[in-house]
Amino acid sequence: MSGDDDSSGWQLTESDPGVFSELLKTLGVPLVVDDLYSLDPESLSALQPLRALIFLFKWLPGAGEPELIGGAYDPSFPGFFAHQTVNNACATFAVLNAIGNIPDLAQGQQLQDLLSFCTDMDPQTRGMAITSADWLREAHNSLSPPVAISLDGLGLPKTSEDAYHFVVYLPSLGSVYELDGLKQHPVRHGTFDERGEGWVKKAREAIENRIQTYPASALEFSLLALHDDPLPSLQALLHSAQVSGDHDSAAVVSQRLEEENIKRERWAFENSLRRHNHFGLLHALLVALAKDGKLDTAAERARKVMKERVKARNAKGEAVMDED
Amino acid sequence: MPPQPLTSPQTVLAFKAGRAFRRGETNWVDASPEKGALCIDREDEMLRLLWKTRADGDLGEELILFPGDATFTRVTQADQGRVYVLKFSSSSARHFFYMQDTSSSRDEEFTEHVNALLQNPSYVPVWQERTSEDTRRRSIPQASSSPGTSAADLARLRELVSNVARSTGILSSTPDLALSDILTPANLTPLFTERPDLVPALFPHLPPDLPVSPSPEAIQQIIASPQFRTAVSSLDRAFRTGMLQGLMNQLGLPEEAGSSVEAFLYAIREQAQGGEGMETD
Repeated sequence: MSGDDDSSGWQLTESDPGVFSELLKTLGVPLVVDDLYSLDPESLSALQPLRALIFLFKWLPGAGEPELIGGAYDPSFPGFFAHQTVNNACATFAVLNAIGNIPDLAQGQQLQDLLSFCTDMDPQTRGMAITSADWLREAHNSLSPPVAISLDGLGLPKTSEDAYHFVVYLPSLGSVYELDGLKQHPVRHGTFDERGEGWVKKAREAIENRIQTYPASALEFSLLALHDDPLPSLQALLHSAQVSGDHDSAAVVSQRLEEENIKRERWAFENSLRRHNHFGLLHALLVALAKDGKLDTAAERARKVMKERVKARNAKGEAVMDED
Repeated sequence: MPPQPLTSPQTVLAFKAGRAFRRGETNWVDASPEKGALCIDREDEMLRLLWKTRADGDLGEELILFPGDATFTRVTQADQGRVYVLKFSSSSARHFFYMQDTSSSRDEEFTEHVNALLQNPSYVPVWQERTSEDTRRRSIPQASSSPGTSAADLARLRELVSNVARSTGILSSTPDLALSDILTPANLTPLFTERPDLVPALFPHLPPDLPVSPSPEAIQQIIASPQFRTAVSSLDRAFRTGMLQGLMNQLGLPEEAGSSVEAFLYAIREQAQGGEGMETD
């Protein structure tokens, strides 16, 4: 993933749970995404029912991604699999490869139409159908600043910006599958035991094996959990605890509801920042500093800081301001 | 019915344009031959886009435009090359138009004004003069009703720009200073603690869909956010290209202010000294 050689109108988005969850909401799917810091049973229990795991990692050129780490290619996978045909559309492809394989899932009309349109296609054609769905591209792009005021047209040198790649792990037809839009076929990691932890146990093994194969310094990764939106069931639980006079349970559920709502507010706040053109505020802040008579001193200090920075970088032989 | 006038006192922009319609689910648009005009009316900071027939001024289409919601872009795949599409980020609606003026020499100018209005309803389109030598002197669109930059200021600004260019090279690869080093918590926090009178002017620049009410606390959170910091550093990088005229216009600054961070700060100082009416909406 070398960046957007061919962005075809798809903008690079952040890979934050709030971004994914907003995309799911736009698709009319009652699932949310949360960060996972560990794969142990306790961490996962709060996220049941767990529908898929999304493994994301920063693509580093020369990291030498091994072709197959355990499992076997399954060219005749009967479920939904699409090739990722546009670099920047990673997040959307991960989401679709996941929800395309989750049965009995509520979906918005446009999503339903798109998925049924793709039913008999091969992965490559499916990928192209997805990237030409304008409504989907707009939903995807709605979580980054509007192009009209971005600086893309100025041909700025690319920084070492986030080129994340996403791989989905989920259960399908009794086996754990790894769906990677950049691979030729889905990878089947074998059947799982329904009892106990179920498919997650097998997925954990596959993911841990994968992590082991990378040298410690080469990889930055994180895990996301795709699971049912807990709000409706928490609300129902609270209601029944209240009507049955179970104050203790009501208190516990209230607490969880409040935590969940605080998180959603934070997501809404961050998403509004993601969509926003900040140049107006930037300008207004500088004007305010000027009106306060403080802009000149701030600029003087900034010149000194830059001189020091240039000196330090020259000493190390690096270029200034080429990284974020 | 007698012909209706095409424009009204609320009209801020109008030009000859026809409509084109998508052919089914294909990527073809067919131009409708009817002679029309695209008008943008402004009332109480709300913009409306109206398409009317020129024959009798009948209203063919009316759209409400929210700031930043729509863009007006040329459809490059179109044969005659004068087809434009109005796209919305809030919906998947598309409206196709094509320029009907026999000359295409003003197409770009119309498009620029349309997009500037779509971003900022208070934008005032100012038209280029055409002198006999065809040198175009562009007036500066003002984003507010303030007096703007005087000729003397512009002259000093140009001097500053050429000084910077002489000393560091036109496209300096190492800028003298970065906005990221000015817009630091250390520099900005005192604004909130010592100058509460200056804070309300910041409120109009916050995201319109911010889920909390504008407040000093919200602004400080935004300033510290990765999204804001990224915007500042991307602007720093953009100054190295010296191609920020468009953005400067949007901010009510002269184009020269886009040539370097120094020039930008200079123009801002002038703007701050201008007094009332600085606040864009």
